[in-house]
Amino acid sequence: MSEDEIRKEEQIIERSKKDPRAFGELYEKYFDRIFNYVLRQTDDEELAGDLCSQTFVNALHNINRYEFRGFPFSAWLYKIAGNEVNKHYRKNKGNKIFSIEELKVRELIEQGTDDWDEEMITRVLQYMNELPTDMIQVLELRFFEDKDFKEIAFILDITESGAKMRTYRALDKLRTNFNLKVKYDG
Amino acid sequence: MGKHEIRLRRQRMSARGSDRYRNYNAVLKQHSNEKRFKQITRIFTFLLLIALVVIIFMAITRWEKKQSKPTSKVNNHLVVTGYSSWH
Repeated sequence: MSEDEIRKEEQIIERSKKDPRAFGELYEKYFDRIFNYVLRQTDDEELAGDLCSQTFVNALHNINRYEFRGFPFSAWLYKIAGNEVNKHYRKNKGNKIFSIEELKVRELIEQGTDDWDEEMITRVLQYMNELPTDMIQVLELRFFEDKDFKEIAFILDITESGAKMRTYRALDKLRTNFNLKVKYDG
Repeated sequence: MGKHEIRLRRQRMSARGSDRYRNYNAVLKQHSNEKRFKQITRIFTFLLLIALVVIIFMAITRWEKKQSKPTSKVNNHLVVTGYSSWH
């Protein structure tokens, strides 16, 4: 995100503090991303729609408290959305769901072997099922939402080194267990 | 850490799918409703607190009055006793 874009967002936020209608511009800009982020963690469109709306309502409630901390505004929205999803699972006492697109899994794993097939995808998913939830959360934000580690740390309320460690551990295991090449950047 | 379930989605999410849930007017309405509800709750809590303070104040005043009454009776008695002893 460029300096100019960040400054423009800051102006919209300042206007939104006085007039909530101004927030509509940010709503339109980030709705799809937040909706998809929530949908990936619920696998239920209706529920994702509700939680997404609640995310923006909460953002509007707390817009006066928002301070720029070197992250794009979207990071703050992701944080609120994550809290809303966690609240939902706490309330309903269900297992958290991660609904991952097949295409994204294929993007994550650069095909290093010839036997890349349905069975391999199933095995990768089984492996991901056994990973701790906090590791999956980091992987999701890193590879499916394209967030950098600093932003991930802010969204999940962890340290940057913690976010890196979780990602590298998960990817290392994936490489060793499946003999695959994995996109490995920091 | 916690339990989770990984599901695979074959189809990519489309923008059209999310458009069904995009409604900023509804968000604005919910925001103003919740804001109003919070304000009313705040005012109600404030009034409740004031009422509580007034009740406590009144109770203390009554208790003080009650406490002061018996001492005056004793004084009167003493005065009377003192008067009768003159005769």
